Amino acid sequence: MTEVVSENSEVTVLLVDDNPQNLKVLYETLKDKGYRLLIANEGEKALDLAHRHQPEVILLDIMMPEMDGYEVCERLKADPETADCAVVFLSALDDLQAKVKGFSLGGADYISKPFQSLEVIARVKTHARVIRLERELQARNRELQGDQTRILNSISEGIYGLDENGVIEFANPAAAEIMRCPVEELIGRNFFEAHFATCGECPDKLPVQTTCCQGMAESQRNIRMVRMDGSGFPAEYRSTPKLDNDELHGAVVVFRDITAELENEAALEEARELVQEQRDQLAHASRLTTMGEMAAGFAHEVNQPLTAITNYARVSKRMMSKENPDLGLLGETLDKIEAQSHRASEIIRRIRRFMKKPATGKEVISVPALLEDTRQFAEVDMRNNEGGIELSVPDSLPDVAADPIQVQQVALNLIRNALEATRSADASTPVEVTAELVGSSCVRVRVRDHGIGLPVDAEDKLFLPFYTTKDEGMGIGLATCRSLIQAQGGDIGFERPEDGGACFYFTLPVASADGAPCAPESASNAREA
Amino acid sequence: MTDIQQTVYVVEDDEAVRDSLELLLKSDGKPVKTYENATGFLKDYSEKMAGCIVLDIRMPGMDGMELQKKLNEKHSILPIIFVTGHGDVPMAVDAMKEGAVDFIQKPYREEALLEKIEAALEQDLEQRKTLDEKQEIIRRVKSLTPREHEIMDRMIAGQANKVIAIELEISQRTVEIHRSRVMHKMGTHSLAHLVRMVLSVKDLIDAR
Repeated sequence: MTEVVSENSEVTVLLVDDNPQNLKVLYETLKDKGYRLLIANEGEKALDLAHRHQPEVILLDIMMPEMDGYEVCERLKADPETADCAVVFLSALDDLQAKVKGFSLGGADYISKPFQSLEVIARVKTHARVIRLERELQARNRELQGDQTRILNSISEGIYGLDENGVIEFANPAAAEIMRCPVEELIGRNFFEAHFATCGECPDKLPVQTTCCQGMAESQRNIRMVRMDGSGFPAEYRSTPKLDNDELHGAVVVFRDITAELENEAALEEARELVQEQRDQLAHASRLTTMGEMAAGFAHEVNQPLTAITNYARVSKRMMSKENPDLGLLGETLDKIEAQSHRASEIIRRIRRFMKKPATGKEVISVPALLEDTRQFAEVDMRNNEGGIELSVPDSLPDVAADPIQVQQVALNLIRNALEATRSADASTPVEVTAELVGSSCVRVRVRDHGIGLPVDAEDKLFLPFYTTKDEGMGIGLATCRSLIQAQGGDIGFERPEDGGACFYFTLPVASADGAPCAPESASNAREA
Repeated sequence: MTDIQQTVYVVEDDEAVRDSLELLLKSDGKPVKTYENATGFLKDYSEKMAGCIVLDIRMPGMDGMELQKKLNEKHSILPIIFVTGHGDVPMAVDAMKEGAVDFIQKPYREEALLEKIEAALEQDLEQRKTLDEKQEIIRRVKSLTPREHEIMDRMIAGQANKVIAIELEISQRTVEIHRSRVMHKMGTHSLAHLVRMVLSVKDLIDAR
């Protein structure tokens, strides 16, 4: 009973009859059922009450003076405030025609007089319930619609609904804002004509056309759209077909103005280029520094063949001044001069190549050749070292794609560090330089020394700029190495060998490996190996 | 004193430089012996070697400076001409302090090198001559009896015969006889010459 009461408590029932006796009986019948009961004894009054209280159910007598039930019903249905209420006619007229008329005017039910209390109670209850559910449903629908509108209104992207000819059927406020034209003016226009200046030239290739005509989704970025005032803007759009039971009904287009986005991207690209340029400059400066450090070694290395050449030349002159010069011996000596001059020019060639600014762009490089060249280069620096450099590279190693000068800079830096560590430890074990294939797309080069090793806490900071474990180091070398290697699509890292010393490695992408980057994961695989 | 065979010893790790230097010196008529490293030379070294050393400073293993120190320990008098690929002033100063006769920088004009070698060989000859002379003096000093040696020391100190006689409690005549024997054995007639000779070997005698 409670449930019924609470259910009925929101329900208003209006009783309309010109006969006070009838009204009283009706009132008595329904009074304890939990409804709010309103009473009217004539049409005008009934309409007034109905308008003010929107009753769910109206029990309406047909035969009334001045305004009969039919007219009241008609006017109730005409007023949107009361149109949804359930009108139950009450009448002694029991002919079919009267009932049909009642229903045709929007009546919900018909109760013949004299009525049975139970019947009235049951019917009122049913109609009250139906109306209540209907009203809830409508409220819900309104709510949903409101949500939908709010969503469409708050989306910052422009949305168009197009029919299959490209006529705009729907536009959200964002679309109007982007196009600088009220929604009402957009609707009904042809999307293609309104927003694409080139519409006349090749109509088949217009954006969204295939979605409208063939039902295929499309998306495009940085395409030029035209506003109503003729101004244009770069846009990105996605269009999806509007389907109803597999039948194509046009397209939904979501688009936005990407002017600011493109500007940001351009600025970002510019910043990136600046960073790249500065990195190249730093790398170049770091190479020059390396060269400065190695200058004494180079001077010595170039002077050796020059000295030999001078000596051989003098010897040749002496031979020629003899009465019967030994031409065979003279030829041999001249050959030696030639060989030494090649040796000198080879050293100078290496220096010049190492110092020059790298041509941007990658080359296909043979790792063994590059490492051998680097080894000879580094040995200039270590003439007083006992150990030397041991190079071991498998013949089957594939070529890599990278900038040879920058890779050599990294290799040289690691090898020189290793030599220095070896020297500091007064060790004579050679620095080991190895290369191997990791997976199928990555070549890993390792430089291993048996020197003093690195402090425990060095690992995390090793590649940070300005971090150094050397007294006279600037801390630029390894930071530069890392940025150089990362620019090649590789990775650089450090391993702590169990038996002391240090091991640095770097990876480079194999030339034929479709540009697959040797990102850190392949390096971590390498670490497990 | 017999004529000694002087050889130019070249210690140089760079094969081309070594080979070219050997050819050059041989074409100049000088006996040459080359070594690839300092250790090899040190193994070969003996006091009897005469000539000079052309020594590269920068070499793997034992460098030129270390070899010089080792030779000094052995009282070698072989003149050393240091050769280096780049002018390294502190190193040159050190080498000269340790007794190097000269220093030449690569690449050098071969005339300059040959001149330096010539001078070094000359110096070696001189040194050997003086050394021979000194050794002769020492031999003579050694031939003196203890008494004669004692008398000689006092002569050099400038003591008159009379004073020597009184201090040694012998007759002045005896002093005179010893004195003439000393002069005879030392092969001189002048006291001044005797003083010069003995002083010239003083360091050698003290060292023994």
